[in-house]
Amino acid sequence: MKFQVRMPGEREGRTVVVTAGAPAFEATLENAVLTGDALEVRDGVWSLVGRDGRQIEVSVAFQKDGSVRASAEGALFGFELLDELTARALLTTGGRAAKRVRHVAAAMPGRVLRILVGAGDRVIQGQPILVLEAMKMENEVKSPRDGVVASVESAAGQAVSQGDVLLRFEAGGE
Amino acid sequence: METSRSSAPRLLIANRGEIAVRIIRACRDLGISPVAVYSEADRGALHVRLADYAVAIGPPPARESYLVPDRILAAARTTGATLVHPGFGFLSENADFARRVEEAGLTWVGPASASIAAMGSKTESRQRMIAAGVPVVPGMTTPAETAEEIAAFGRANGFPLLLKAAAGGGGKGMRVVRGETEVAEAFLRTRSEAKSYFADERVYAELLVEGARHVEVQILGDATGRVIALGERECSLQRRHQKVLEECPSAAVSEELRARMEAVAVAAGKAVNYVSAGTVEFLLAKDGRFFFLEMNTRIQVEHPVTEMVYGVDLVVEMIRIAQGEPMSVTKKPELRGHAIQCRIYAEDPAHGFAPSPGRIRRLRRPQGPGIRVDSGVEDGDVVPLDYDPMVAKFIAWGRDRDEAFRRMRRALSEARVEGIETSIPFFLSLLEDPDVVANRVSTQFLDDWKYEPRRPPEDVVAASVVAAALGSMEGAKKRRPGAAPAGGETGPSAWRNARASFGARE
Repeated sequence: MKFQVRMPGEREGRTVVVTAGAPAFEATLENAVLTGDALEVRDGVWSLVGRDGRQIEVSVAFQKDGSVRASAEGALFGFELLDELTARALLTTGGRAAKRVRHVAAAMPGRVLRILVGAGDRVIQGQPILVLEAMKMENEVKSPRDGVVASVESAAGQAVSQGDVLLRFEAGGE
Repeated sequence: METSRSSAPRLLIANRGEIAVRIIRACRDLGISPVAVYSEADRGALHVRLADYAVAIGPPPARESYLVPDRILAAARTTGATLVHPGFGFLSENADFARRVEEAGLTWVGPASASIAAMGSKTESRQRMIAAGVPVVPGMTTPAETAEEIAAFGRANGFPLLLKAAAGGGGKGMRVVRGETEVAEAFLRTRSEAKSYFADERVYAELLVEGARHVEVQILGDATGRVIALGERECSLQRRHQKVLEECPSAAVSEELRARMEAVAVAAGKAVNYVSAGTVEFLLAKDGRFFFLEMNTRIQVEHPVTEMVYGVDLVVEMIRIAQGEPMSVTKKPELRGHAIQCRIYAEDPAHGFAPSPGRIRRLRRPQGPGIRVDSGVEDGDVVPLDYDPMVAKFIAWGRDRDEAFRRMRRALSEARVEGIETSIPFFLSLLEDPDVVANRVSTQFLDDWKYEPRRPPEDVVAASVVAAALGSMEGAKKRRPGAAPAGGETGPSAWRNARASFGARE
């Protein structure tokens, strides 16, 4: 099985080829051949023992946006992992990066306390657009881009769930 | 068992989460029967399941449950509780509630409501302290009615100012104001936070002493009139005015300075006839002068570091003292070793510390020599959105500061929390910072400190990539065509498509 892996901050993906699956795995990452014993202790928690005896416990979680979140040895990091077909398909359509930010969604569940902008307002990237209360803290939500507010989709006092659209931008306007 | 439980005195804990569990443990050590209260969001919470009795007190928002004195008093009546411990936050520093507990013939585990009232209003407590000869930072002597009063104070005394909730504490409802243009919005927001957290919207301003440390002294007083000090805690590492890491003792405090701070703290306690555990907070300026900040008339989040170093169970002492007994500490215990505490929050350090409520799928607690974990959650529990995001406290003790730090790094690396994000990676980076290690810090230190996740070594990255690839192949194997993807993720995702295509080929 062949995969493309891309670490954050890297433009070029790396190729991973798995020639033998768990438990006696064999994989090639770029030019390095990795072999050893892999045990999925429980869902998403792996213990890998390399041929040299090096043991690494890794937790991997597949995120909604297609990325992988890994934690191991006190480090927490993310990367993209795609099988070759999908990677190629994304390449021909221009990839996810080409998507424009058309709205602002709640990054966490909470309650809208105040709305600082209105429809038709021109906003700049980083400008506070509303205040969201969650876990007893007031969190300023900032505009992710320059643009013109098309509509405000939330009201002061309203409870929102993660992912709810709070505000939409007009097309273009950047 | 039933006979001993029904004859034991009952103590109602007017709180939730970690501190409620901590108080339950003290009750067990004293043979007291713990009574929990819970909102609808906390029906399954650990503090409820560890209690002998539990009473529902309302919907999830704190102002409709944990902050409603009538519901808590009714719960005490229903269960026959004779003692009420408020913990920290919520109603812990609400003198009206303490008075109502006293008037209902119940025992308040804390200082007398009159002491809370005297110290609870930051402006009144300042005047009391000035009268008792305790040094204070220049500030407004009465709460501000308008933003203009704050602006006028700033014009007369200079900026920056610190805007504070008059009834506040625990770092909630505080905001730095760097100039006159920031006054209006800061006033509005601090008032609104003060109202939602303390049910009291009054705020006031004082000068911000820049570059200072936050050092506080633990005191303990009993009904015999005795007040003792149990050393200091270094709490300078704060984010948004919330302490995140605390130490006992402070590496910045000499024996001579400790003696002076303890003497002032005891004088402050005696000035308000203080009975129970309390904390006198000071700003320690770079030049060694110290100023009274406020007195917290309750148990503090960071009390375990004092307990580890002085060998005193402060919550047990509070309950004994509330029952009219003298403190069990007959002579002042010796300072032994060094302890640090990390507050583990359900928040995502990689995304601006956004709250991260949810279900904890997996929790591995650190253990071993020198490690204490005080937590309000276990495997499978849900961290609700409605409350403070602190889920656990890791405390490490060592013979010296260096050993305590090494043990804390070990504990943080050993811990695993899956399902929610936590501040553990933040602490792992923080404890490697040379300035933190050398204790070159101030209360502003974290304002300028940028969290950089630790870079994992190449072999760890490679192992993770391999594990993810193997996991995706296993996931595809387990799934029959058309079945939902493993993990239950929903929504369109390239990753899901990738796995589906494996399934089709296998």
